[in-house]
Amino acid sequence: MRKRAILLAIMLAAAPGLALAGGDAAKGKEIYEKRCWWCHGAKGAGDGPAAEFLNPPPRDFTSGVYKWKSTPFDEIIPTDEDFVKMVKGDINHNNIAGWNGMNGTSMPGWGDMLGTQDVNDVIAFIKSLAELGAPQKPAISISGAVSSSKESLERGQKVFKDRCTECHGEEGRGDGTKKLKDDLGFRTWPRNLTKPFTFRVSNKAKDIYTRITVGIPGTQMPSFADPSSQKKLTDEERWDVANYVASIEAPYKKPTESTVINALRVEGEVPDKHDDPAWEKAKYTSFYMVPQLIAAERHFTPSLDTISVKAVYNDKEVAMLVAWDDRTKSLPGNAKAIEIADGDVFEDAVAVQWPVTIPQESEKPYFGMGDAMLPVNIWYWKSESGAGQPQSFKLLNSKGIKDREERDPASVGLKYSAAYDKGTWRVVMKRPIKTGDASKDIQFEEGKFIPVAFAAWDGSNKEKGSKHEMTTWCWILMQPPTGSSVYVWPIIVGCIILGAELAWLKSTRGRKKTGE
Amino acid sequence: MKIPKLLQFAVLVLIAYGIFKAPGWFGVPIPGSLIMMYMFFAVVTILLVMTSTEKSAQELFTPIKALVDDPSKAMTRNVVFAVIPIIGAVIVFNQVKPSFEAPVELRATHPAPPSTLRAFNKSFNIGTLENPMRKLAKEDPAKFKELVKEGGVVYYRNCFYCHGDKLDSKGHFAQGFNPLPLPFQGKDTIAQLQESFVFWRISTGGPGLPKESTPWLSSMPIWKDLLTEDEIWKAILFIYDYTGNVPRSWEK
Repeated sequence: MRKRAILLAIMLAAAPGLALAGGDAAKGKEIYEKRCWWCHGAKGAGDGPAAEFLNPPPRDFTSGVYKWKSTPFDEIIPTDEDFVKMVKGDINHNNIAGWNGMNGTSMPGWGDMLGTQDVNDVIAFIKSLAELGAPQKPAISISGAVSSSKESLERGQKVFKDRCTECHGEEGRGDGTKKLKDDLGFRTWPRNLTKPFTFRVSNKAKDIYTRITVGIPGTQMPSFADPSSQKKLTDEERWDVANYVASIEAPYKKPTESTVINALRVEGEVPDKHDDPAWEKAKYTSFYMVPQLIAAERHFTPSLDTISVKAVYNDKEVAMLVAWDDRTKSLPGNAKAIEIADGDVFEDAVAVQWPVTIPQESEKPYFGMGDAMLPVNIWYWKSESGAGQPQSFKLLNSKGIKDREERDPASVGLKYSAAYDKGTWRVVMKRPIKTGDASKDIQFEEGKFIPVAFAAWDGSNKEKGSKHEMTTWCWILMQPPTGSSVYVWPIIVGCIILGAELAWLKSTRGRKKTGE
Repeated sequence: MKIPKLLQFAVLVLIAYGIFKAPGWFGVPIPGSLIMMYMFFAVVTILLVMTSTEKSAQELFTPIKALVDDPSKAMTRNVVFAVIPIIGAVIVFNQVKPSFEAPVELRATHPAPPSTLRAFNKSFNIGTLENPMRKLAKEDPAKFKELVKEGGVVYYRNCFYCHGDKLDSKGHFAQGFNPLPLPFQGKDTIAQLQESFVFWRISTGGPGLPKESTPWLSSMPIWKDLLTEDEIWKAILFIYDYTGNVPRSWEK
């Protein structure tokens, strides 16, 4: 395979015109049957063996409809360049290190495995599945770009509030009020616009402009350039909205390489509520969450992707603020919640897991609810189980999924508060640094790296019990104030060096005087 | 033009430092403490060479001596005398200031397997175990091809979210795991292993790793609870076939 690709590459280099001559569908079929059918299906209908585990589902090539294209709304066929980006990957997608496929999907970029001609062959084959020819219309023009000025952003925000919030939510977190489906009947969720690393293409204004102008075919994202639509926007308005959408990124939500939550020492009281100004100085650390796919009933189609955490402490207490974007406030029994949910509505929930004993060595408890040797504490909050019902908060001691003890959080002074606002849950959990019983509860210690892990449930995405999203172990550090002692040694060393220099100088002077 | 000895010394020390730092620019940095040690030897060696003859030693030290001997260099001397203690203090500060980097967790990626494996109500001898389907590669290539494809189906229904569409460890959930899943592409994972080892790793997952040389922190499920014995062997055929790797065999 690879040898052939190299050979072809050499041939192509020798005859530059050939690369654009299109692909060979028969050769493309061979590649497709080795690389692509697992998701996209033997006949290209998007029904491969992996399909049922994927959200979004793999593309059905027999429909001939493509979401990520740059040709106008009344031209169904993408450009060759669009196809190449879809198959080969694109550096502009590269929001997650090492990944240039489509973000938020399982479609990788194949450029490292398939040569240019291979990619063209595959494109020729998948186009043949819906008998697509060349597009009749060229890609839309992006030459009218409006630069992102204060005025443009203000205009864009106004249009956004008017046209976009129904699906994308007031703050753009995808917490709209409308249940969305694509043409094939699959549930779709509006993009959370504050998380550009989940955009399939990119959050460059030109790419957002392209989506607004072209729409996302097969979904309820319309073209705002369609003259027959009541929602039509002028070219300038579309650029303004694109600029505005690019501006609402919340960079802290994108996980970085850091696995440490730096808990900040505060003077005075540790806050009870998420809107306390005491949180302002502490910084969020964000983590990717993955669905639970290890034990019991497993989960493959998550709706939550990241969780952000900050923490503060004083002499007596430690508090953490756990925040995550959830498009739906899941209230079981509530008509509105039922209408927008995918299936039955359960509670939303979050859990924070600690080792009961801070590990001395690097041996941590099993990250899935601990193990027999190394138990964990779990602080488990759940939203209202119905209108007028209270939220629930539990303290669990667990030695694995089958062995857990439920305790009263009040018995160790563990408290919570929770609020949902425009697509974000914010839950505060707070506990005294020490409790009476070190054999049952974690005893926090300043200056130590303490393992912590998180789990979250979206009750409007069929998530309940073992079906949830989770992180692996991360760290929290109650970072002691640096103090002045770290400056003492540098000053001493500096003085010693200076003293030695002066001594040297003096000795030469002495030598000179004695005439040596 | 002759380059002054002192400048030569400085340039050589810088070159040595650059050489030790260079691997870091390509993603495999040498730990800071090792660089300190290497630099110590480098500086000592350069000094030894440069002071090997009386003349060159003199050339090297004259400009330094001149700092204190030559009254016309008083200004330079004052600057040098002020800067050196500051550099010293900064180096010491960087050594003593508290570091809040997460603890480094070193792991052995190829643990020693146990001699026997209990799974599927049987006991397997890992020392002699072979993939029962491997022999079909020669005996019945058509059947073998079919088994590989079936293994692919197992892979794409169970493994690929983490180990990747391209078997390159970049599955769509991979970034949520720490440590990251292992790739099967390349020559340093399954290419180094016998199929019995791979069978053991898949069957017992993270919790089946030996208690010594921890921490493993592996998120690998216990697949013997989720797949059949045949499915595991088929998936193994597939991951070797797709990546063009060949399992290591028992030396006879």
